[in-house]
Amino acid sequence: MKFFIDDLPVLFPYPRIYPEQYAYMCGLKKTLDSGGHCVLEMPSGTGKTVTLLSLIVAYQMHYPTHRKLIYCSRTMSEIEKALAELKELMKYRTQQLGYTEDFRALGLTSRKNLCLHPSVKREKSGTVVDARCRSLTAGFVKEKKERGEDVDLCVYHENLDLLQPTNLVPRGVFTLDGLLNYGEQHKQCPYFSARRMMPFCNVIIYSYHYLLDPKIAERVSKEFSRDSIVVFDEAHNIDNVCIESLSIDISEDSLRKATRGANNLERKIQEVKSSDADKLNNEYMKLVEGLREAEQAREEDQFISNPVLPDDLLKEAVPGNIRRAEHFVAFLKRFIEYLKTRMKVTHTISETPLSFLSHVKELTYIERKPLRFCAERLTSLVRTLELINIEDYQPLQEVATFATLVSTYDKGFLLILEPFESEAATVPNPILHFTCLDAAIAIKPVIERFSSVVITSGTLSPLEMYPKMLGFETAMQESYSMTLARRSFLPMIVTRGSDQAQISSSFQIRNDPGVVRNYGNILLEFSRITPDGIVVFFPSYLYMESIISMWQGMGILDSIWNYKLILVETPDAQESSLALETYRTACCNGRGAILLCVARGKVSEGIDFDHHYGRAVLCIGVPFQYTESRILKARLEFLRENCRIRENDFLSFDAMRHAAQCLGRVLRGKDDYGVMVLADRRFQKKRNQLPKWISQALLESETNLSTDMAVATAKNFLRTMAQPFKAKDQEGISTWSLADLERHRQKQTQEEGRVRQEGHVNGNAANGARNGAGDEFDDGIDEDLMMLDAQ
Amino acid sequence: MPPSRDAIVHRGDEDEVCPVCKSSRYLNPDMRFLINPECYHKMCESCVDRIFSSGPANCPVAGCHKTLRKNRFRKQTFEDINVEREVDIRRRVMTVLNRREEEFDSKLDWDNFLEQREEMIFNLVNGVDVGKTEADLQQYASENMRSIRTNQDLEAKEVSSFQERQNQEQELARIRRQAAREEKENERKEVMASREDLLSRLASGRPADAAAIAREGQKVLLKKSSARRSEEERIRLKQAALRGSDSKKPGQAAATAAEESGSGLIKGLKKIKSPEPEKPYDPFGGMVPNQRDYYTLRDHYPSPYLDPIRQDTRVLAGGYDLQEYYSRTLLEAFAGLGCFINEEVSKREASSLNAMKPVGTQGAAPAAGSSSQGSK
Repeated sequence: MKFFIDDLPVLFPYPRIYPEQYAYMCGLKKTLDSGGHCVLEMPSGTGKTVTLLSLIVAYQMHYPTHRKLIYCSRTMSEIEKALAELKELMKYRTQQLGYTEDFRALGLTSRKNLCLHPSVKREKSGTVVDARCRSLTAGFVKEKKERGEDVDLCVYHENLDLLQPTNLVPRGVFTLDGLLNYGEQHKQCPYFSARRMMPFCNVIIYSYHYLLDPKIAERVSKEFSRDSIVVFDEAHNIDNVCIESLSIDISEDSLRKATRGANNLERKIQEVKSSDADKLNNEYMKLVEGLREAEQAREEDQFISNPVLPDDLLKEAVPGNIRRAEHFVAFLKRFIEYLKTRMKVTHTISETPLSFLSHVKELTYIERKPLRFCAERLTSLVRTLELINIEDYQPLQEVATFATLVSTYDKGFLLILEPFESEAATVPNPILHFTCLDAAIAIKPVIERFSSVVITSGTLSPLEMYPKMLGFETAMQESYSMTLARRSFLPMIVTRGSDQAQISSSFQIRNDPGVVRNYGNILLEFSRITPDGIVVFFPSYLYMESIISMWQGMGILDSIWNYKLILVETPDAQESSLALETYRTACCNGRGAILLCVARGKVSEGIDFDHHYGRAVLCIGVPFQYTESRILKARLEFLRENCRIRENDFLSFDAMRHAAQCLGRVLRGKDDYGVMVLADRRFQKKRNQLPKWISQALLESETNLSTDMAVATAKNFLRTMAQPFKAKDQEGISTWSLADLERHRQKQTQEEGRVRQEGHVNGNAANGARNGAGDEFDDGIDEDLMMLDAQ
Repeated sequence: MPPSRDAIVHRGDEDEVCPVCKSSRYLNPDMRFLINPECYHKMCESCVDRIFSSGPANCPVAGCHKTLRKNRFRKQTFEDINVEREVDIRRRVMTVLNRREEEFDSKLDWDNFLEQREEMIFNLVNGVDVGKTEADLQQYASENMRSIRTNQDLEAKEVSSFQERQNQEQELARIRRQAAREEKENERKEVMASREDLLSRLASGRPADAAAIAREGQKVLLKKSSARRSEEERIRLKQAALRGSDSKKPGQAAATAAEESGSGLIKGLKKIKSPEPEKPYDPFGGMVPNQRDYYTLRDHYPSPYLDPIRQDTRVLAGGYDLQEYYSRTLLEAFAGLGCFINEEVSKREASSLNAMKPVGTQGAAPAAGSSSQGSK
């Protein structure tokens, strides 16, 4: 269907549109016009991706600036899905417009996924593929070939040079598979085609890391213009991604490997010195001059890049004491030895980068400045020595990256040295965590560089948390709810067991037999009434294991087996995927199954339980993080001091976003339905931290249920849902045809006119209410008392 | 905080063997290894006691004939003995060649110096040109005694001030943490107290009032929490301001104090300029009050009209001061003499962008002319 938002013609590839999709488009358009960042929340399963794409493509095509779209998603499958949606959209546009637009869209993923070379693509590990690819495609290898030496080259890569550099792939949308097929047909490398074509694309779809991880971003994403539109989809975990991209863990083993790498490097330098001293001299001269820019090797050749943020990039010359290759290697060795001495402590230590640096200086006379250039210098050396087997130097690179980071940032980082893996361990296995505490550091260049950054997901509540944590201002933050023709999901908070004892996963009572039994009873009752699949989320693996063994002892599992199969997620990915597969089979064939999984595990993040795969989701306990972790404690303190977010606020926010993420797993569309049970006393106070679309559907009467009441309600609900439901019933309410849209628009303009007449708008009323509702205290108790009094 | 060196526990392998007495860690779990910076040969503590207790002796390792003393033996810091040795050499060189970046003309010179120092250390470590390097070092040390001393002092001062700042920061963080904890505790207490209060009032009140009391209690709670929040905000802002001023206070006392001119060893050192002594501050920018450019005010000007007034008590009684009259008249007469209107006008027209009207000078010129005529 085709409609207008203000003056913008939007082509939407479906005959009907959801009201919230329309509202989302309007909001998005407003942000793009005003040129600011926005945070948008829209429930899962309402076609967020296609909405976003169709509006932005329309925007690109209509306005002469042709702002580029950079769409970041989290996983491969999501990228592929988005590309497929875009392809459909473009097909529809071509049909409607009657001509093919000048449009190009590509997805980018790692070499491992895009390689066509017959032997390289068979490698399992990504780093090995990268290294082997480099050995076949690097610039110096080609030079050697031209000099007549006998070296292998990748045919697919070589063929690219024969093509016109701005037109490696034709116009149109290529999914990753499509790109692979095209590459195979034309014998050209899909990875490098995508990389090199990026400046000429209208839409680029890739993973977060290409933009957030400064180590990669500088290489891949530096050429995009300022007015590009950046979208982070499924961004509810964006702060963690930011933090992970700047954090480094160093173990004793990796230090040992790094030493080996340094020794290899030294040997190599000796070799080159005796055979080709000019090469090292040339490099040395360049470094003396500080002409780093002059040394613009083909950017794909780089294997390490500076982890310092681009705008921080030092344009200075490399300090004199690491200019010579042999000095630099000695320097690296000294630093590694220093780290080794630090590894020998027996108690946990946390210190700031500044105090770490002063200690380094005291012990080894390594100053801050050369440390900052470590990563840079290593890149230059590796390039000069023309090293091929890069994967051997991976640990060395890690150490160099660490050196650069630790000497660059004073604030927002912490070093934590843990000699033992766990509290009980007696064999030391020291790990040096260099953790980033400030999510804003990694995302800052993105926010500053691009005029429109859109952060969107199904669960972003409370919305004001994200701008605070990531340190930016929004032009718009909005949460859209789901319009439904019938009440198709039933959120409930169960606070008591059938025996009226309160249930909670808090530490004091989580292992009480009464609580465990009550949890078991909830599961048992629901397995009795729910058709098909049930998904159960626990706060941690540890708790899940202990509760399952206790259930076994109580005989609860035996009674559940009368109704359903039980499958369990484990930390092992393969085991889990097998369990998942079995679960799906059981849901398709028999009476259904129960999948027990963990709220922060793989299942809770990426896997959808649509339709009969998930008719009920049980969240047992509030999924708080493990609060005794040193890293988390440090981060909480940082947030308190710098972002003014109180510890408890953050912890409960984090727990609730994971809970919401879990609940969202079962509802993947408007014709889907499911029961959502939050089983913990503490959810009652936290219910206003749930996303708007869930908390709106949560009736006041269903926030304080006991098990039997919840079961009765759910039974009733499931019975209603089992009634036939035709698509026609939704029309005009939760799906709009063009006529409905027109009617809505008219009503809106009328409304606006009326409001204007009245004078002023009491805007932000909804927002104000939300902010006010953030208080922590218990208001349930008053109601209870009043009830008592009334009797 | 970094750990003291004692905290670094040596955890060797089980089958580590002392190269001198061949006793292994398996037999003697407390075995500690020591080295001597003369030759860096490793041996266990008991060997050191056994061999060197009665005075200096030769190193027991075959082929090494260095004479060692017991008091020089120490624990090994780094696992790699070469690094250990390098750091020792480095320590020695660094105490001598301790020029600072501020002392160099350009960054390039500074980098060259760094490289030169690195080169010397490298030579000493790898045994290249040891004699010459040592000689250079000796010569430099004797020539630049004073600058070495001052730089060492500066270094020490920097370290101590850094240490101090670090401690201060830690203390502040601790205080803030405690404040946050107290705040939380207070909040909890308050909530509890108000709830209790509510309960007691509900218990004592009439059933009809229950709803009203409950509502009121809710309101009080809300009010309190918002008041607390604004209070918190205020305190935070104050703290932030305090922190800002604190961080400014310990200014970097980076006064360069290089005295001797650069010796032959290091190139590119800054020429030392002693700063000119500061002049006393002049608030008027050189202007002296009562001093005129074109005339000096005299006490008496002969005038047939004014002379009688000098004696006339009727006039003087009213406070009339002839001196005042002289000064005013003369000021009026000479006002504007330094101004050249033609020049100014042409200049103004040249830079017509600057559209300021010279009202004052234009008016003053004819006035000056007429008044000077009048007075003479």
